[in-house]
Amino acid sequence: MANYEPPVTDYESIVENCTCAFCGCNCDDLDYLIKDGHVVGVRHACRLGASKIMEDMDQRLLVPMIRGEDGELAETDWDSALDKAAELIAGAVRPIFYGWSETSIETMHHGLELGELVGAVLDNQATICHGPSLQAVQNAGYPISTLGEVKNRADMCLYTGSNAMNSHPRHMARYSTFPRGYFRPRGRFDRTVVTLDPKYSDTAKMSDIWVGFEQNGDYEFYNAIRAVLKGKKLQKEFISGIPKEDVEELAEAMKNVQFGALFFGLGLTHTLSKQRNIDIAIQMVADLNSYTKWILMPMRGHFNVNGFNIFMAFETGFPYGVDFARGYQRYMNGETNTIDLLTRKECDVFMVIAADPGAHYPGGAVKHLAEIPVIQVDIHWGPSTEIADVVLPGSFVGVEVGGTSYRMDGVPIWMKKAIDKPETCRDDEWIIKEILERVKKIKAEQGALASK
Amino acid sequence: MTYVDKPAIPKVVKFDEPNAKLRNKLDVMLNTGSDIYQGACKKRGSTLKDEYRKVAGVAYMDPKDMAKLGVSNWDHVKVISDWGEVVVNAAHSRDAPHEGTIFIPKGPWANVVVSPETYCCCDPTYKGIMCTVEKSDDDVLLMADLMRAVYKKYVNKDDEEGIKDLATLGEMPVYKKL
Repeated sequence: MANYEPPVTDYESIVENCTCAFCGCNCDDLDYLIKDGHVVGVRHACRLGASKIMEDMDQRLLVPMIRGEDGELAETDWDSALDKAAELIAGAVRPIFYGWSETSIETMHHGLELGELVGAVLDNQATICHGPSLQAVQNAGYPISTLGEVKNRADMCLYTGSNAMNSHPRHMARYSTFPRGYFRPRGRFDRTVVTLDPKYSDTAKMSDIWVGFEQNGDYEFYNAIRAVLKGKKLQKEFISGIPKEDVEELAEAMKNVQFGALFFGLGLTHTLSKQRNIDIAIQMVADLNSYTKWILMPMRGHFNVNGFNIFMAFETGFPYGVDFARGYQRYMNGETNTIDLLTRKECDVFMVIAADPGAHYPGGAVKHLAEIPVIQVDIHWGPSTEIADVVLPGSFVGVEVGGTSYRMDGVPIWMKKAIDKPETCRDDEWIIKEILERVKKIKAEQGALASK
Repeated sequence: MTYVDKPAIPKVVKFDEPNAKLRNKLDVMLNTGSDIYQGACKKRGSTLKDEYRKVAGVAYMDPKDMAKLGVSNWDHVKVISDWGEVVVNAAHSRDAPHEGTIFIPKGPWANVVVSPETYCCCDPTYKGIMCTVEKSDDDVLLMADLMRAVYKKYVNKDDEEGIKDLATLGEMPVYKKL
């Protein structure tokens, strides 16, 4: 046991029932062990959640910074940094406000007002992960349930294009596979776990059935299952590299459960058929519902990525990529989404809030960020800081400040505050509100000048 | 920190197929995506450090592919696609066998070679990129150096050689204090 780490016993107090600020599982049973105003240990969290909450203070952004003429970031006071950010935003023709998925709904509220005022595009991480899923939901419907229902009822859990053990480590433990539910008293033994993935992933390794079809074979494979469900005979011997007998056997197994849950991840949205993969998966779930109960759920990545989509859909009617350039909201895939705007070099000021485009955008999109001013509101020094011109240190939602977030199944959860933030940092909500006030002031001055 | 330590990767580089030949270049398909080590390191915020380079600047390859190229664990390989080229470490994949496919966890290194093409569906194509892999003697850059070398935002864009000779930005934040 070379890697064994003894439990943390050196702490002053415990804050119980905190909500994890990592993935869309939003586990709300974490206990933080606090010493000297820092979280020194986390109970119940997965490796990812614990590593995020017990952050690396070496790279914590602590002071506002502005990039000087010499290309180096220099510390400054809050007023100058906020004025600089407001000046850039007020002078922008086609600004994008991107991010929002790791901050609270309360912050988004002010961000939306700011976006409407200056005619910005508001977009979140869905644009590079589950955007196609949202399009498919608009195309084909959204047969969803809560995770509690999955826990209590599901006897088949199917993961497709998702490596839950790596990206949502507690999903199987807390919601789908292992927990004992009302109708599944024996937990794991009462459920069948199926993984559909070209890769023999860590999730596949612990499943009962692994179907390793070809890369980009998703669309054909689901269609084959649909055909079998409709009583058709498969004409080909192999479907996406899988023998047709196996496809028929899987379809039969899926038909004969009491409650099935299909969880899908970025394996579907990042391959070539994009939203069509999910269209067909949703239709497959619809077909399965003529035999038994099946539901489908996207495995959302950040703790509030679903929150932004729900918030924007409620406020503007569109889930992400909402463009206010004409003064009213527009949404057009391929036109008002961040990656397309950047590769077409349309954007002229980019504000990133609680996200890291430097780490997660394709190089072709980051190249344009290297040509325009970038404002960053975040808690850690990351790849985006390397290309940022104004840096505003925010605070850690769910640890240092409270806020509302939405779990992947759409259940809103209040994330409470456990410790105080570093003195020199500010809340995200305060930062966006301040920028809004300052932009309003600049606009009012411009208006007064114009009317003279 | 035990939260980001990687388990030892078995050193399996045996060239045991009688008919296979050592080659300089390999045509493979690249997949990117999240990985628990990369995720833990990124969200902790340790992106400047060597540990992030170890978990995100790495191409997980099938051991047979590694044998064909003649590389062992932590040797450097250059991945070249239509969109760019990047030097990463090679490591034996724990999901093998998957001959002809490599996996680079999402991060600044993978971004250089993935396709920004969205086909009007908002989402770039992060998976299924055709690329070539070859052995390389160049170093795998630290995150800050990589961002500077690839995007050249605050350096002279035309001076390729000069950028290579610049001092490394290191593993800690660099900024002027008040």
